[in-house]
Amino acid sequence: MYDIKKIINLNPFGYGKFSKNKIFNKYFNRLNQHHYKNCQNFRQVCDGLGVKGGNKIKLQNFPMLPINIFKSFDLLSVDRKKIVKKVFSSGTTGQQLSKIFLDKINSNNQMRVLSKIVENVLGKERLPMIIVDQDPRFTNKLRFNAKSAAILGFSLFGKNHCYILDNKGNINLNLLKSFLKKFQKKKFIIFGFTSQIYEHLLKRTNINLQSYNCKNAILLHGGGWKKLEKFKISNFEFKKRLNKKLSIKNVCNYYGLVEQTGSIFIEGKNCGYFHTSIFSDILIRDKDFKLLKKNERGLIQLFSLLPTSYPGHNILTEDIGELKGEDDCKCGLKGKYFLVHGRVKESEIRGCSDVR
Amino acid sequence: MEELKSLKLEVVAMLDKKKILYEITKNKNFNINVSEPYNEISIQFIKDFSNQLRKQEILKYPDLIYLTFWCANKKIFENKNFLSENQIKVGRGLIFHICPSNVPTNFIYSFFFGLLSGNSNIVKIPSKVFPEKDIIINTINKIFKKKKYLTLKNSNFFLNYDKKIEKTKKISSICDARVIWGGDNTINEIRKIWIPERAIELTFSDRYSFSVINLNKFTKNKFDEIKVLAKKFFYDSYMMNQAACNSPHFIFWIGKNTTTKNLFWEELNNVVKKKFILDEKIAIDKYTHLIKSMIDQKNFDNFKMFQNNIYIIDSNKYLNNIEDIRGKNGIFYQKNINNIQELKKYISKKCQTVTYFGLEKDDIKSFILNNNLFGVDRIVPIGKGLEIGPIWDGYDIIKSLSRIISIE
Repeated sequence: MYDIKKIINLNPFGYGKFSKNKIFNKYFNRLNQHHYKNCQNFRQVCDGLGVKGGNKIKLQNFPMLPINIFKSFDLLSVDRKKIVKKVFSSGTTGQQLSKIFLDKINSNNQMRVLSKIVENVLGKERLPMIIVDQDPRFTNKLRFNAKSAAILGFSLFGKNHCYILDNKGNINLNLLKSFLKKFQKKKFIIFGFTSQIYEHLLKRTNINLQSYNCKNAILLHGGGWKKLEKFKISNFEFKKRLNKKLSIKNVCNYYGLVEQTGSIFIEGKNCGYFHTSIFSDILIRDKDFKLLKKNERGLIQLFSLLPTSYPGHNILTEDIGELKGEDDCKCGLKGKYFLVHGRVKESEIRGCSDVR
Repeated sequence: MEELKSLKLEVVAMLDKKKILYEITKNKNFNINVSEPYNEISIQFIKDFSNQLRKQEILKYPDLIYLTFWCANKKIFENKNFLSENQIKVGRGLIFHICPSNVPTNFIYSFFFGLLSGNSNIVKIPSKVFPEKDIIINTINKIFKKKKYLTLKNSNFFLNYDKKIEKTKKISSICDARVIWGGDNTINEIRKIWIPERAIELTFSDRYSFSVINLNKFTKNKFDEIKVLAKKFFYDSYMMNQAACNSPHFIFWIGKNTTTKNLFWEELNNVVKKKFILDEKIAIDKYTHLIKSMIDQKNFDNFKMFQNNIYIIDSNKYLNNIEDIRGKNGIFYQKNINNIQELKKYISKKCQTVTYFGLEKDDIKSFILNNNLFGVDRIVPIGKGLEIGPIWDGYDIIKSLSRIISIE
């Protein structure tokens, strides 16, 4: 049985290359075998590609699943009866949704690891929290979508939650102001998707919070940078404007996949790079899937030790990124650190059949 | 009854031809004109178009280079529809061409066929952004400005709209022939829209194509032959990202010479490396397609890849659904067979083009005639897969878009 009990309490960013790889590769091997054994579809892929596993295989040689595959198939590595939660995500393009199947163990591990990682940003104490979104419990969603899942997940790291978007998606300034009045003197959290933060806190000029103070805020944001790309704002610029407009100094961006919820990648203090943890790893590949070195841009492949109820442990994304180094980031976090440059450029789709 | 009445009224309204033509073309002088097929002015127009196209920067666009070659091909302008003394032939009238949104150059061929058969044309061009499309339209507009083409300018129109059904309805209601290129769903949807009783319809639906290579027919010059063949095969399959109806997905090998087979793939890989622009998006789409088929199908015996240039899948089991087994951007399935007769079970109605190497024409003919086949419209040497001509999908397009008048 694959189990991460023994490593779940390790410091996610405390291990250098050598010891991290030793732990990670050992667990990853087992995890891959678990999926090979228990997910017929994944086994077909491994057999098809001629890679069956075995302890001596290098991380880079394990069969990776392309991210969109979760839109086409229900992939499970446990009995369907054990599934307690399905998460749907519109993810990238198209109408088809990614479907992620979680059992109790997988779901718990996600939360535990997420909390270990987020602790690095928010601290151990639960702080008052502004959420720049609607309360997912009141939005009438039939299915549990990835967005609500993320909001509910992250909300657990705060208290006195204040959802500042009303049910029409507009900002409720009075709510925001009364929250600030009450909590601005001590540390508090602002959480939201990057695009929402931009839309509601940065882009609007009519927000006047001059008499309030956000100096004590820790702003945690992630996802949805696809929309930001449209506005052509860099991560750096984003931080600068948050500081200038709302005098928020402590801003942390995170990067992660719905398919690998929990083992997210966070920025260190003032470094501007995403970091792998002991539960995750990254490789950058070129158009021939050859591995790229530091400072070369290519497709991002992500590894996670968490997915056990579905084979999401090794995913080739459609994002372009670039490794910047390992273990020696100025922020002090150990692990590989990298940049994400956005989605891979669309090429023209041609053909005689219907466009799907 | 009420419904019927309103439907009738709608139809009557639509029948106001002039009004619709003006609404669509915004040209008061627009007029439906018919003439003899292969009339001088239409041939001249196509040649002028090609000359003008060549003057533009088209080196980046293989589709456009191919188009100029196509226009220079004498065969296209050969009038093979001989008439008796007591017959003359003219175009049917207004041809409404509905072209696929995801093929940048298809519409111009459809238009040329309409023009060559002596008709006026309204052509729905792809709504998607393609530089090729813009270059073609600009070129046409340039030549339309010439005095001698004034009549053509006032009787042909290119229309850019998305899936707005109203426009399709209106033009359909006044056309004499509707030509639809597209996927099966598109065709079924458009077919629901009324066309006049006398109007005809040509549909070019989604089709399937494969290749046959006879390994026994390579000579002592094998290496050179394979080199040439690989290059030709490349054009058939990669030029349209393997997504055209006539690009092959499957190769049937007659004979068992594995060395020759492997040589072919290696040679193809060399061509792909040189000529195919593989970017990250294509790579990930291709890989996704591969993994999907691995999960979807049980047709995998063996798999081989040349980086992301070529994926080759051995599929030696019996296949009854060959038209569902499709590649993308250079994914090929292969299977050994003993002789051409074995192909019989793979030729369904969906089958359009079989490209081949090393088969004799007579053998092909007798194979077709003796096997009660309902599919396959073209059997052509490898390299000619994409060559679109006036005989397409089993239709003689020029003949279909014109009418014969008997005079005794």
